[in-house]
Amino acid sequence: MFYYNPNPDLAALSIQTITFLVPFGGLLRSLHYWAAQLLIVTATVHLLRVIFTGAYARKRRFNYLLGILLLVVCLIFDFSGYVLRWDEGIRWALVVGTNLIRSIPLIGPTLYIMLMGGVQPGLASLLRFYAWHIFGLTIVLLIIGAWHLFRVRRDGGIAVPPPELRPDPARINRFELVRREVLAMLISGVVLVVLALIKPAPISAPIQEGLTAVDGRAPWFFLWVQQLLRWGDPFLWGVLVPLGVLAWLAVLPYLLPESKPEEAGRWFPRGNRAAQVSVTILGTAILVLTLLGLR
Amino acid sequence: MSAMPSNDKRPSPDLTRESLSRRDFLALSTRLLLAIGGLVGLGELTRFLSFTPDPAPPESYDLSPADQYAVGSSTIISQARAVLLHTADGFSALSLVCPHLGCTLKPGPGGYACPCHGSSFDAKGHLKNGPANKPMQALRIEQTPDNRLILHTGK
Amino acid sequence: MKLATVFASAAMLVALVASWIIQDRQPKPVALTPTFTGQVEYCLTCHADLAQISTSHPVETFGCVSCHGGERLALDADLAHSTMRGGANPSDLAAVEESCGGADCHNGLAQDHRDHIQRVQTSLQTTYAGAIAQMRYTFGAQADLAAHYGVQAVETQEKTNPNTPDALLAFDPSKETAPGILKFAENCLTCHLEAEPLPGAQTYRFTGCAACHTPTPGGDPEQIVHRLTTAIPYTQCNTCHNRGNYDLRSMTFQTRSDLATDRLHDYYQPIAQFTRCEYTLDCVDCHTRQEAMGDGNIYSKKKDIQYIQCKTCHGTLAELPKTTTITDPNDLALRQAFLNPVIDLKVGDTILVTDKDEPLWNIRQLPDGAYEMIGKATGQRFTFRPVKGTACQQKVDQQESRYCHECHAVQR
Repeated sequence: MFYYNPNPDLAALSIQTITFLVPFGGLLRSLHYWAAQLLIVTATVHLLRVIFTGAYARKRRFNYLLGILLLVVCLIFDFSGYVLRWDEGIRWALVVGTNLIRSIPLIGPTLYIMLMGGVQPGLASLLRFYAWHIFGLTIVLLIIGAWHLFRVRRDGGIAVPPPELRPDPARINRFELVRREVLAMLISGVVLVVLALIKPAPISAPIQEGLTAVDGRAPWFFLWVQQLLRWGDPFLWGVLVPLGVLAWLAVLPYLLPESKPEEAGRWFPRGNRAAQVSVTILGTAILVLTLLGLR
Repeated sequence: MSAMPSNDKRPSPDLTRESLSRRDFLALSTRLLLAIGGLVGLGELTRFLSFTPDPAPPESYDLSPADQYAVGSSTIISQARAVLLHTADGFSALSLVCPHLGCTLKPGPGGYACPCHGSSFDAKGHLKNGPANKPMQALRIEQTPDNRLILHTGK
Repeated sequence: MKLATVFASAAMLVALVASWIIQDRQPKPVALTPTFTGQVEYCLTCHADLAQISTSHPVETFGCVSCHGGERLALDADLAHSTMRGGANPSDLAAVEESCGGADCHNGLAQDHRDHIQRVQTSLQTTYAGAIAQMRYTFGAQADLAAHYGVQAVETQEKTNPNTPDALLAFDPSKETAPGILKFAENCLTCHLEAEPLPGAQTYRFTGCAACHTPTPGGDPEQIVHRLTTAIPYTQCNTCHNRGNYDLRSMTFQTRSDLATDRLHDYYQPIAQFTRCEYTLDCVDCHTRQEAMGDGNIYSKKKDIQYIQCKTCHGTLAELPKTTTITDPNDLALRQAFLNPVIDLKVGDTILVTDKDEPLWNIRQLPDGAYEMIGKATGQRFTFRPVKGTACQQKVDQQESRYCHECHAVQR
């Protein structure tokens, strides 16, 4: 943040400055990169945990929706941060991703202009992505995040079976909670530092006009969409289907049977079996598509 | 552990006993390790923020050729924030950076004045009045054998 | 739990200290801000031991990136080298316009002597226009001997000779059918400036401008040569020339089989007679800039561009060699002498010039009417008298070099 320059001619160079010339710049950048990717992984694992313990049932349904929204916000964070590199590695992902927005009927072109500040990627686009990444999305994240955490408490804490059915009804006190969270922070901190030291964040040459070797790869979390896009109409496969996946996840608690109250907090409850199966199928499909994209 | 949530904040480690209890030793070690780690992290952050990406400003300016400045003239060199004086005794230069707090002095009928807090100097750079308590800084002029004129603003 | 926290804190401390140590073990970046670009470069962090490429391209002025391209701020080799032009050789003709060309360098007007790239791109050594035309004519692919194809498509920007074509198309072997032409394309195109040379120490050279201007003595492909010079020894020309002969029956190149050990026998193939100065001097001592790099026109034959003769330096019985006296301090001859200071040329000196007014800057007239020549690559000094006034038996209508050879050639 102290060295990055959101100007298309200088952005990639400023990232090279950070990576190679600023003391611990490379470390901080790689930490930031790995924390971001592990955030998506953690959020997804958390979503799966919620599904596979049926924890989204009843009063927690709204908070579940907030969580889905947070996942989307995190993905947009990851994508916008990726774009800020403004180098050859992100170039085609930016073009394709934003053209998908444009492909939305009726409102697509307007949305594109609002997002990009122009009819094609340029100075205005980079500045807007920067503004969203460090400010706009942060505001959204803070509000929805705070609400999500508040709702956890208001809904009676993390979904667990009712006290009479719990083998160990004891709850840890708030000091112990903080201690455990500090321990988790330390462990994940160490993991992140080690990751950052052995596998630095990716970097490529700045975007050059004219012909370049096209390694048109989506960021890892969108590889599955890139595979879908090989199958035909961009709006259908690139917008509708992914939104459909999201919509399905959002509507699950309302459409499919929920876990029973006495099963709440248990792994693989019978009550919401259908939901678990559908998410398994969906998750496997996305995983397979992602692996195909890595080939 | 009790069945109800409680204010079970652990008591601070007792460091006065001759031999530390295991619990207190562990607490002490944790805090020590975290403190040292924190200092290391702070050190890294300090080094991180101390990098200067911008190149340093130039300390010398080539004002050649010397014959474009008539005798008796005073010429403002704006990129150097200086004024070049050519008298019968030769070339000299004064810095237009106000010795008070650094605003750029404006030339006037009696010399130079600062628009920020009102310091004023005469045409030779001596202090006339104002919150400044030093005269205008004299800058070094170098005339090379091949007739180039260099203004030095550095130390 | 407490134990876990202690270990986690210890691990965090270890990780942070490790990151500090790793940071301090990075090589310290070495900055260079060349005056030509004003933009800082860090290539010297790893490449500080590379020799200065030439006295006319000091790294403090040009830096590395203005010629080589690359990422100037990157200290990771793969990223730093990812945008380099022409790989390790920016003078390769695919990259030369950006590297050696550009708005400020060897690209521009003939009057300013800045048209090197345009001339080389249309020169015979690059286009092979005549050889290609000959082959296509011989094997029936075209009806005349005029040049229509070159190794690459090229258009002349400096056409001064109306009898030359405006442009050449790219010779595409995949569009040819005659077996002779296909074999030609396979076996006989290893000497033009864009081609990789035949394997072997005898023929090892670079491509592009470096083919001549970066001498490769010893022919070792492993050796890094970071040098640009105009003092080109004959061995460099011999990486393509005097290597052997084309055999039209088998459509292959037959490398010369003699293993010469002295200059007299090494220099040229043992099939012709040469005079002493032809093997004592280097090629560049006689052959001019235009002969080697072209004059901007597209030619087919060496005869069209090679014009230096014995009489250019030695004159004839009737005429003294053509001279000029240097008056302009910016004279091309003075610049050339500055680049290769074997001779202390000054304003007021009289030097020889060719019929096309190309300065033979290493040959100066002496006050007593004789001439001195300093070898460009060897630095040897020779003095000689003009032919006029000697006992030479040349006939008035037989002034070409081959007639001089009749008496002056040396038996090898």
